[in-house]
Amino acid sequence: MTEVYRKWGRVVRYENGMMISVSETGEAFEKDGVFRARPLVEEPAQTGVSVPHQDPEIAAFVKKTQANVAQTLLSVRSGRIERFIASAGTATHETNGITWTEESRRVHISLVNPPLRALIDLASFDVEIVQTVAHALARADEERDAPKRIRLAPNVSAALLPSLIGELAMEQTGGGFDGRGQPIETRAVTHDTPPNWYRPGYAVKPVPAWLNIRALPFGRIDPDAPLGIALLEAVHGTTLRVLCIDGDDVFPTTVDASHIVAVSPNTPLLYPYAAGSFGTEMML
Amino acid sequence: MNTFAIASRDELWLRGALTESRLMHGVATQTGDAIEASDACDERLVRACESALDEAQATVAMLRDARVRVVVRATREDDLDSVETTMTIAIDGVSVVTTPSNALADYELLHRSRNGSAPMRGPIVWLNGSAAVLLHEAFGHASEHDVAPVAWPPWLSIDAPLTPRRETFRDVPLLRMSHLIARQNDAPFALPDEYVEVQLVAGGAYDPITDIVTVDVAVSSAGPFTIRRSRAEIAASLAGASGEPIRYPGVICSREGQELYVASHAPVMITDGLL
Repeated sequence: MTEVYRKWGRVVRYENGMMISVSETGEAFEKDGVFRARPLVEEPAQTGVSVPHQDPEIAAFVKKTQANVAQTLLSVRSGRIERFIASAGTATHETNGITWTEESRRVHISLVNPPLRALIDLASFDVEIVQTVAHALARADEERDAPKRIRLAPNVSAALLPSLIGELAMEQTGGGFDGRGQPIETRAVTHDTPPNWYRPGYAVKPVPAWLNIRALPFGRIDPDAPLGIALLEAVHGTTLRVLCIDGDDVFPTTVDASHIVAVSPNTPLLYPYAAGSFGTEMML
Repeated sequence: MNTFAIASRDELWLRGALTESRLMHGVATQTGDAIEASDACDERLVRACESALDEAQATVAMLRDARVRVVVRATREDDLDSVETTMTIAIDGVSVVTTPSNALADYELLHRSRNGSAPMRGPIVWLNGSAAVLLHEAFGHASEHDVAPVAWPPWLSIDAPLTPRRETFRDVPLLRMSHLIARQNDAPFALPDEYVEVQLVAGGAYDPITDIVTVDVAVSSAGPFTIRRSRAEIAASLAGASGEPIRYPGVICSREGQELYVASHAPVMITDGLL
């Protein structure tokens, strides 16, 4: 039998008008080639999870975002927040003889100005980026050909990064523990089998994955190049459909992002793509 | 106040060997726009799950060349109990979603269904109740989003009631289809010389922002293909139907990340102008 993995967690989630609080525990292990997962029957006292202050924090973020963004989108016909999910959670994990605790925040917002839909996924309660995208979306014009040079905002480049594993110089960011309780070390990301394991939930069989990847800086970003500010569709390979800002113009465009010419040295931010992806400005 | 309790058992079998097994249970209590949920265990629901799973396993044992995922959900909502068992059977990347009582017949259908190489032109004849998937997307999901109606043929009636449903105790209930049954009344049914027969569908989608319906056909006389048309175009393409509604083996409907089984029935139907 493999090492037993145990998890104690609580998450508070705002989802399209409802606030839901979920507490649960679970354990998973493999025995005779069968992956098994089930709720924990007995909860050791020392691993109880308390999550203070999350409900008001989420409520404040939701209220501020709605006030800022909804008003912006109301200026255009049929503009609105289509989907709004924000969550904050704390989980204590135990496996391989160690115990550790993680906190997480997740935001998924889709904003629509028909026929366009901007997708925003964040690992922080950042109202500013949501507001920036809403402003751009409200001014969006007709589809255009991709600009010759285009910068990708951090929230866009983070979504692309998992598609560039082995193609672009990047590293796994060290720190914390993986889904099997092994330390996550800083490593060059390659096509090889990753050394760490990704376990997004206790009932999900862990798989090898590069965790918290980041592109290594190189080249020079042209600050005057048009900026892809938001995804308009999920990433398909290295094809991105983005909302692009070029001076006073805002338009949707589709770009082939297989050739990156520069990665900003600015401090990257973590986004919830794949098994964690750090976004920083990149240029195609 | 509304209370929802669930227990579920979920097993994955690959070519007759059990590879994954899960138990999940929990209770959610909703008061106004707030839900408090935990993994509290309702022993009666767990027992109901185990019993239904035992029955399903007898069928799984007969499907030795397939990938089979069995999901049993026992739920109680406001004192109303229900048990639902679904089996997703896949062979060579093509799947059906069925119930233990229909599993062997659908497994045989899966074995019988073969892609052909007919020309990709002419009307489409939707066999095996597969038109239910087209209508699931174009009618059912559109209803869930309360979009403007389009003109459906007068000979067609569609029963697709919306009820609050959720996948687990962790989820927010959404207005979802409980089933879809399409019926025809005195519909025309004239088959041209050349047409494409659809046997199995891989999936579909409806986008309420663009009003576009997408259906991915997995098995047809012309091979796999994708239809991407507006809802009005889909409605206008319905050219005929014949017979009683046929149970289509499988619609697992995913919305907002919640996967739910939707029983789907439609007669043999003809669409024209989609290829």
